[in-house]
Amino acid sequence: MTTSGTTPSPEGTELTEPSVTPQRAPGPRRHRAVPAATGPGPGLLELLRSSPVHQLGACLAVSVVLAVMTGPDGDSDHPFHGIAKSVLAPRIFIFLAIGLAFWALVQVSSRLGAVKQVAGERLAPVGRVLETRPGRLGGNATLLAVAILAPQLVSSAAQQSLVNDIGIYALLALGLNVVVGYAGLLDLGYIAFFAIGAYVTGYFTTKTGMPWHSPVVFNPFFVLPIALLVAALAGVILGGPTLRLRGDYLAIVTLGFGEIVQLLANNAQGITNGPRGVFGVPNPSVNVGPVHYQWSLDPKPYYYLLLGFIVLVIFAFGRIERSRIGRAWAAIREDEIAAEASGVPTLRLKLLAFAIGASVSGFAGVLYASEQFFSPQSFSFQASILVLVVVIFGGMGSRIGVVVGAVVLQGLAFYLRDKVPPADRYIYFGAVVIAMMIFRPQGLVPSRRRRREIQLAEAGIHGADPLGAAPDHAA
Amino acid sequence: MARRHVTGMAVAVLAVAVTAAACGSSGGGSSSSSGGKKSVEIGFQGPLSGDNQQLGINAVDGVKTAIAEANKKGDLPFTLKLAQSDDQGDPNVGPTAARQLIDNSAVLAVVGPVFSGATKASEPLFSKANLLSVSPSATNPALTTLGFTTFFRDIAPDTVQGAAAADYVVKTLKAKKVFSLDDASEYGTGLSGAFEPEAKKDGATITHDSVNPTKDYTSEATKIIADKPDAVYYSGYYAEFALLTKALKTKGYKGILASGDGSNDDQFIKQAGVANANGVYLTCPCGDANSDPKAAAFVKSFEATNAGAKPGTYSGEAYDATNAIVTVLKQVGAGATRKSVATAFKSVDYVGLTKTLKFSPTGEVAGSNVFIYQVKNGERTVLGSTAVLVKG
Amino acid sequence: MGFVHQFWQLTVDGLEIGALYAVIALGYTLVYGVLQLINFAHSEVFMLGAFGGLFAARGLLPAGDTPGGLASVGLVLAGLGVGALAGGAAAFALERTAYRPLRRRGAPRLAYLISAIGASYFAFNLAGKEFGRQNVPLPPLFHNGVVFHIFSAQVTTQNLVTVGVAVLMLILLDRLVSATRLGQGIRAVAQDADTASLMGVNVERIIVLTFIIGGLLAGAGGFLYTITFNASYNMGFVPGLKAFTAAVLGGIGNVRGAVVGGLVLGLVESYGGYVISASYKDVIAFLVLVVILMFRPSGLLGERLGRAA
Repeated sequence: MTTSGTTPSPEGTELTEPSVTPQRAPGPRRHRAVPAATGPGPGLLELLRSSPVHQLGACLAVSVVLAVMTGPDGDSDHPFHGIAKSVLAPRIFIFLAIGLAFWALVQVSSRLGAVKQVAGERLAPVGRVLETRPGRLGGNATLLAVAILAPQLVSSAAQQSLVNDIGIYALLALGLNVVVGYAGLLDLGYIAFFAIGAYVTGYFTTKTGMPWHSPVVFNPFFVLPIALLVAALAGVILGGPTLRLRGDYLAIVTLGFGEIVQLLANNAQGITNGPRGVFGVPNPSVNVGPVHYQWSLDPKPYYYLLLGFIVLVIFAFGRIERSRIGRAWAAIREDEIAAEASGVPTLRLKLLAFAIGASVSGFAGVLYASEQFFSPQSFSFQASILVLVVVIFGGMGSRIGVVVGAVVLQGLAFYLRDKVPPADRYIYFGAVVIAMMIFRPQGLVPSRRRRREIQLAEAGIHGADPLGAAPDHAA
Repeated sequence: MARRHVTGMAVAVLAVAVTAAACGSSGGGSSSSSGGKKSVEIGFQGPLSGDNQQLGINAVDGVKTAIAEANKKGDLPFTLKLAQSDDQGDPNVGPTAARQLIDNSAVLAVVGPVFSGATKASEPLFSKANLLSVSPSATNPALTTLGFTTFFRDIAPDTVQGAAAADYVVKTLKAKKVFSLDDASEYGTGLSGAFEPEAKKDGATITHDSVNPTKDYTSEATKIIADKPDAVYYSGYYAEFALLTKALKTKGYKGILASGDGSNDDQFIKQAGVANANGVYLTCPCGDANSDPKAAAFVKSFEATNAGAKPGTYSGEAYDATNAIVTVLKQVGAGATRKSVATAFKSVDYVGLTKTLKFSPTGEVAGSNVFIYQVKNGERTVLGSTAVLVKG
Repeated sequence: MGFVHQFWQLTVDGLEIGALYAVIALGYTLVYGVLQLINFAHSEVFMLGAFGGLFAARGLLPAGDTPGGLASVGLVLAGLGVGALAGGAAAFALERTAYRPLRRRGAPRLAYLISAIGASYFAFNLAGKEFGRQNVPLPPLFHNGVVFHIFSAQVTTQNLVTVGVAVLMLILLDRLVSATRLGQGIRAVAQDADTASLMGVNVERIIVLTFIIGGLLAGAGGFLYTITFNASYNMGFVPGLKAFTAAVLGGIGNVRGAVVGGLVLGLVESYGGYVISASYKDVIAFLVLVVILMFRPSGLLGERLGRAA
């Protein structure tokens, strides 16, 4: 078979579940074995594998890039001034020194590998405790307590960000997680359903926000079920014909759909008010019996409202995940043909995943819209991608994971607002995402099943899922 | 997993350490005392990044100039500082940017937001926080009708500019057939909405079209040329107007080209190319400080404060807005609060560089002139105010 | 009047932008052919090529009037060359940082997509930092005038330069893929990488070269784009998405398909933008994409680099 012997691989030792450890040799579907034959120049990962010289080169290259990232700006008349001033200034030595120190650290730490392994085994029981039922409950309760206390400890700009950036995206990520994480379908236009939810809200709750509106207006809470249904319906209409297609094509069709929805929202000025956005959706209020509450501009009550919904969705999806449906999804994800052969109605279940995902997105759209103002800019392709990145970053298939992903990624973006020039923060965002994919592709808090699938895929045993199939030429 | 884990974390730590090292100096600014005086901050909200950042930079530089002058004079009971908040000109980023200023208790007044859309999204928060906000540039007519209690602008709304522009294009330049194109934004539709009825009233025939900002105006140029207009008026910002101008000129359009204050920036000339930009008319409710002899002192002080940069569109308005705020701060004195500043601003009467700042109860500035600019030899030159140029 | 009257002009416009889409689409198609991966960061390769070419041409441009004759030809060639080199270098760096480390560990396919997205954000924002966030124009390198008319349509020097260079590059690439050893290698890897590797093809080298070829084309395409439009740090996204659409439209993984897809998309956009509204140009492009995928999912000319090219 291929030359897997040429790359001495540490993977075997890394797997935590012994059942999948040894059989990594027969990997006819991948060419990772070939690279040993190619030229010089280390990628980041090979820091660990190739000679120290190459590692040093990579470390220094990274530190130069960091120097440029944090250095002064250039402009179009002097395009290389920024780079020159970053690289030729004395501060470059600080960066090189850090790079050098890091290199030394890697050298030392690879010698200390054995020590760490022992440490890892020491810590293993903690992990095991966390995976028992009471342990998990305790962990979740702690997380919830932190989530409840969080807004009390931060500024109101941060609270606003907790709502707009983190809460909404956590909800969106939970929905997309059903599509991508559970059913293994790649949806690149997920934000379209969010837009649908928001515009449905605009239609039903205000007479001034959009030129086209319903004859009677409702409280945003009453729109929730409507938006849920409309978004799910849109998901079924879109998914019906396209879910028959191969994974890649589904991704592209959904991408096209997402773009179409945003462009329509932008251009159909007579209906949606175009890029000027929808202004004046009333804040939700509760008037049930003795309870009267009116949400207002203050972000905190919104945060708790969102938190409530997030917890609800987490519970509900937990039930689904462990039900027949959830198991069927896992079967489809891992091997669609085998699932079909064993009598799983794959098309219908995929459609269901799509519809559930879409409805959560629509739901989030209502909550977003009821904060008074939204415009088509919120529904860009970048937003779809951001949700996807949150899901992958946090850990596909893990409900807690995707929420953590939203907190960490969006929190990072917010944290960087004041720390780096505002326009530069996406440079850091991009760098963190790449580093994450290189070093921890299973996400921050991977689901156990997903982690195993990725390990299997890395070991070349199985293509994980229709999407996960690593570059695969056998098909 | 262990090794990779450690490396990954180490990379993250490295990145954070470097970031912190590089940016450690820029920290938050709550009120602190320097030199015995309490310090008060004036906030600024506008686009400091993104496609149309130049307009935000013009304005913030004006604010900086006014603050530097006030501190130099030293007759205030406190030192002034600037707190910037970038909203990227984006209505969705507006609220977070606004909250950042509201959270900073040292901020007693805000200059901005710069763009109309972001203003609409941010003002409810400013109103609630009783924080005064004076926009140097948000010209959408509807803004003063939405019930914002602390919103003022020292620039005329687009209704004034649009009508004046229409009068000039139709009456003075004698265009019979006008193609009015807007960028479908809050600002663009407001301006074209004022331009078109006035042009019709003046006897021109109008073709209206609305195109979202894009990078490719080729087919739109074909469409415009097929319509054979005498004049094209674009309501939108310079990045797109430059591309439109380029596309039209490439296709051999010879008629009149004009646009509003959103395009009135030297970046327009640069991006369209001097040859294409020559002869283009620009309308603006703003005067040009660079060519106004009365403003020579301002231009000098502006250049000194901003490393030689010249004042641009909205620099003068932002400067005036800041100075008016400074006047009010002086009046209110050391015990100034957000509320007292906002209340006192209602009755401000300050003779500024661009106009006299005196506001109607809704926050509209009392008087205003619209100026016509033309690009000649790659420079924007003022032809004069429409009050003089338009006859009959 | 109206559409019929402007038909030929719109055709000329559409072919110009379509040729550009085709050039960019080839990068997507080639990489998809050998890796079955959508290279999301390709749009940034295009952007970096555009800046490279623009700065080079602007730097060489003598002061004063628009040059003519041989000077113009030289400047355009210099811009194309530097643009292509910048694009190739960017594609190489991209492969090294965002793809290879993942391939070495056999990461799942989604991981590639995400790391490419990360690379894209990183690259275009860094470009914004270094080159400023304003649109940057390319000063005129030649006198742009009407060369001849097709029916009622004006054909300008600019149209001819863009389409001519694009067609030339497309022909060269087609020859490269179908008639050279390297092309044979690419097709072999596209058909079956493992068998190819057993036959002595250095798969890893082919992958790198495929990225570089796509990068060279996108970089030169980026420079061509700046002749008509302005360069900016975020210029890559929309043309990238369109080019990707074009690649799918023609049959992703199929070199000639990408060309057909690019031209069809350019024409459809140009006609649609005129008849409906320029605002709906993109809607039309994506509608075509969705409809094609629903009814003919393998694209106009079918998939597979190996078979069709």
